[in-house]
Amino acid sequence: MRKWLRLGACLIATSFAFMAEDRSQAQEPIRIGVLLPLTGPFAKNGIENWEAMQIARDMINERGGINGRKIEYVNGDATSPAAAISETERLITKDGVKITTGSFASPLAIAVSQAAERQGVFHWETTGAAEIITRRGFKYTFQVGAPARRYGQVAVDFIIEDLSKRLNKSVNDLRIALLWENRAFGKSVGDGIRAYTGQKNIKLVYDEGYDQFSTDMTPIVQKLKDVKPDILIAISFPNDAILFQRKAKELDFNVAAFIGVSAGYSSPDLRNSIGSMVNGIFVADFPPKVNPDVLNPEIRKVADEFYKRYEAKMKRPPAGHAAAGFSAIWALFTDVLPKAKTFEPDELRDIALKLDLPEGSLVNGSGIKFTNFDWPDDPKDAGQNLRASIGVWQWTPEANEQVFPAKLATHAPAMVPLPDWSKR
Amino acid sequence: MSAANTHQSQSTRFLFWPRRGSQISIFEMAIFAGCIAVAMLGLSQSLKDIAVLTFLWAGLALAWNIAGGYAGLISFGHAAFFGVGAYTSTILFLRFGLTPWFGIWCGGLIAAGFGAALAIICARLRGPFFILSTLAAAEVVRIAAMNWASLTGGPEGLSIPPVAGVTNMVFASKTAYAVMMLVFFACVYVVTKSLEGSRYGYYLYSVRDDADAASAAGVNPVLVRTAAMALSAGLTGIGGSLFAQYFLYLDPTFLISPDLSFQFALLAAVGGLGTAIGPILGSFLITPMSELLRSYLGSHAAGLHLVIYSALLIVVMLYFPSGIAGAITRIAGRRGKS
Amino acid sequence: MTTLGQLVLSGIFIGGIYALMSMGLTLIFGVLRIVNFAHGEFLMLAMYGAWAITKMLGLNPYFAALAIVPAMFLFGAVVHQVIVRPALDKPHLVGVFATMGLSILMQNAALMVMTADLWDVPPIFGRSVEVGPFYFKAELLLGFAVTILCSLFLQWLIRSTYLGKAIRATVQDGEAAMLMGIPVPRIFLITFASGSALVGLSACMMMPLFSVFPTVGLNFVLIAFVIVVLGGMGSIEGALIGGMCLGVVQSVSSYYVAPAYGQMFYFVLFLLVMIFRPNGLLGQKGAATIGIND
Repeated sequence: MRKWLRLGACLIATSFAFMAEDRSQAQEPIRIGVLLPLTGPFAKNGIENWEAMQIARDMINERGGINGRKIEYVNGDATSPAAAISETERLITKDGVKITTGSFASPLAIAVSQAAERQGVFHWETTGAAEIITRRGFKYTFQVGAPARRYGQVAVDFIIEDLSKRLNKSVNDLRIALLWENRAFGKSVGDGIRAYTGQKNIKLVYDEGYDQFSTDMTPIVQKLKDVKPDILIAISFPNDAILFQRKAKELDFNVAAFIGVSAGYSSPDLRNSIGSMVNGIFVADFPPKVNPDVLNPEIRKVADEFYKRYEAKMKRPPAGHAAAGFSAIWALFTDVLPKAKTFEPDELRDIALKLDLPEGSLVNGSGIKFTNFDWPDDPKDAGQNLRASIGVWQWTPEANEQVFPAKLATHAPAMVPLPDWSKR
Repeated sequence: MSAANTHQSQSTRFLFWPRRGSQISIFEMAIFAGCIAVAMLGLSQSLKDIAVLTFLWAGLALAWNIAGGYAGLISFGHAAFFGVGAYTSTILFLRFGLTPWFGIWCGGLIAAGFGAALAIICARLRGPFFILSTLAAAEVVRIAAMNWASLTGGPEGLSIPPVAGVTNMVFASKTAYAVMMLVFFACVYVVTKSLEGSRYGYYLYSVRDDADAASAAGVNPVLVRTAAMALSAGLTGIGGSLFAQYFLYLDPTFLISPDLSFQFALLAAVGGLGTAIGPILGSFLITPMSELLRSYLGSHAAGLHLVIYSALLIVVMLYFPSGIAGAITRIAGRRGKS
Repeated sequence: MTTLGQLVLSGIFIGGIYALMSMGLTLIFGVLRIVNFAHGEFLMLAMYGAWAITKMLGLNPYFAALAIVPAMFLFGAVVHQVIVRPALDKPHLVGVFATMGLSILMQNAALMVMTADLWDVPPIFGRSVEVGPFYFKAELLLGFAVTILCSLFLQWLIRSTYLGKAIRATVQDGEAAMLMGIPVPRIFLITFASGSALVGLSACMMMPLFSVFPTVGLNFVLIAFVIVVLGGMGSIEGALIGGMCLGVVQSVSSYYVAPAYGQMFYFVLFLLVMIFRPNGLLGQKGAATIGIND
């Protein structure tokens, strides 16, 4: 009898203990480590991303958090790759985070994922693009943003499917030039474009890297002018994009179409810097704002709220990378974490690999499917999202409009061919 | 030209801080015992990380000090040697499967070669000219590393697989790294100490303090300087290899950045130039301070931690121009008098 | 041929802008024998000033110079009194690290106050100037003209005024100058402040050409160092020639070799000059090898 009593007491005690634990878990916030460059040369984009991430946190917490648990961020200043590694390790070991996210720039993403993988922590990369991020066979790194080659592919596809017709030339008659900044992102995208055009038998008439800290664009623009391309694809950062456009105007270098890729040309304040000179430039990037019809109705509401809040706070619409940062973290909040029980990296990895979200499920029109599907040389189950939407949008005199691919488009491409500088 | 000479005599005075013999003092023993304790104790991982970095930067500041402090070759290009070391061991490992245990020595040797070459190139230069030339040389190496993608991985850098193993020289525990860095820094310290008491050490002092007199006395200044630079660069290269094994990711824009070169010099200068203990004190003060400032303030306002850090740096430089080691001797000297 | 001509001429004009930016540094370097590692951040500060005045008053940035130049003179004087003067009688590295600390401080203070966004002023002239087959931005030509005028003025100042004589005497022999009754500390103060004022002027000339952001100084500071040493420290005409050489080397090598190597070439040029002509093109004899402070 006594034995039974004791057993019963034990059972009751343990069940209380479990309940107590359950309750405490229900209230304890989920801590996520956010690694972004808040100082140094990448600070501008890092801070914009951080604002977008904070909006995501506020929005999810106002909706009651995830299964009753609030989201809490612990952030680190990943100003350089070395600092990124130290900060990631600090967040993991000192603050005990089991999930990290960030980190805007490719070299930082490479570093952060390295540190997270080593500590056995789940890393949800939002915008980093260099392909090496997911090609190292890491178990816990998931890259929600598009791989670098995707940026280039979309630019080339846009030329083949749309611009060549508008310019009344066959693709093989078009003179296409490629200019890339020679850091990790620019080189990756440049490599991607070179490989893709090679595959399609398109010849590049010019293909050179340049230093993004260069202060004089004369030699580059002059060389392009001598090469006389019809279409120029340029991968730049903000400062060099501005210098390039000004120099192009100064030296009267004209192209029929200009496609900028990501960071430099997608920054919303580019218009403040170079005024009406932006009009007509195409940008291959994460869509900053897509045709709302492609979004599923629920996410459309989230998107509206995000754009409203971001504009209220920053006094300008989000750049593509900030919208991508929001999209990725929101997917983590709504599609990964609610399914988790233990929040151990292995569990999160299983959930992530099972995700199968069609395009239009994320605020920027992306879907999610992590796989090594179309690159047989990749490690198995590489955490590369193959449904990240990358499209082409255009600077118009009023705002910017998505022009490609057709289903994301809000507008038809205008100003093709681009008028000469003397007529602008 | 005597304005210049005034500067020189003052710096000379400061650099001649009292040297005792090369035997190990109680003070040094206490520091090393403390280091061993920190390395072995079950501290939290993030404190261990700070310890690892502190030891590594201490070793590198000591290595810089051989050229900058003892030979008077104030180099702002040491990041190039650091990068060369890191790249050498990593490339040997990734391409040829050679264990980093062997690769670090290759890295050290090649870096020493670079150091000797730089010393010869800049043999005639002094003061700011030497500083700026070394800075420029390191930039040349950086741009080469950025663009020679087939060798260095270019701007995407090189990643070492994070697979723990003794032959890989990759460890799962931070304690192993702390011990490794401690051994490195102790070795550089022993090299520095033995240099102080050696004949070659006196050559260094003589060349630094008055090259003309030294060469009149039969010392070849160019040779002495080149050897000092090679030694310093070689040790820095080894440090670079160890850094690569710890961080497992090499990025040329960070690895060969002027910022890193400044850091080596800064730690030595804050601690006390031309002293064996100075760079150690410098690293023990600055490294944890900058890491802690970033971890506590980095997330509040972007840039605040660096504002505070740099303000402290200015104050320390202006009020303790001969470094912590100099301040300690001054205080000790005052006590001794009273 | 047109291409080469455009490259060389553009190189010369942009080099003129670089030279104007370096004149303040070379003046300070020549007289105080101190490398101001915060030079790039002085430029950044002055550019923000020029931008703010342009933005607030709707003037063009050239008029902003009227306010920025004296403001930078004052700023330089304060920095001299607080940071540079205490470092002057100390080992060379003290000055190096004190100014480097100032550079980090200013960069991050700017980041806190101005955020990391890029700011620009609207273009002043709508079209480039066309000379035969060549195109030049009018702002660039104007900047170049100001550089030439400024260097002529400085030449005159140093050659023909009492202040200039005092500065030259201080450069030649500080102690003797002191004995002759020249207030050397005040000469140092005036030189440092004037050097800073020159940075202010160059910032106003550069604002229509470049964006301003907290780390903008980093893009220019190494160029300034190279020019100063290339031209010979303390030499105004040296800075002018050094600037133009650098501009031409940068543009020609970027065109004919590869733009990714443009910087490498001017660093190599710099090292070659250091090896074969260590005093720079027009520097004082022996300056590089006598050991200012080694």
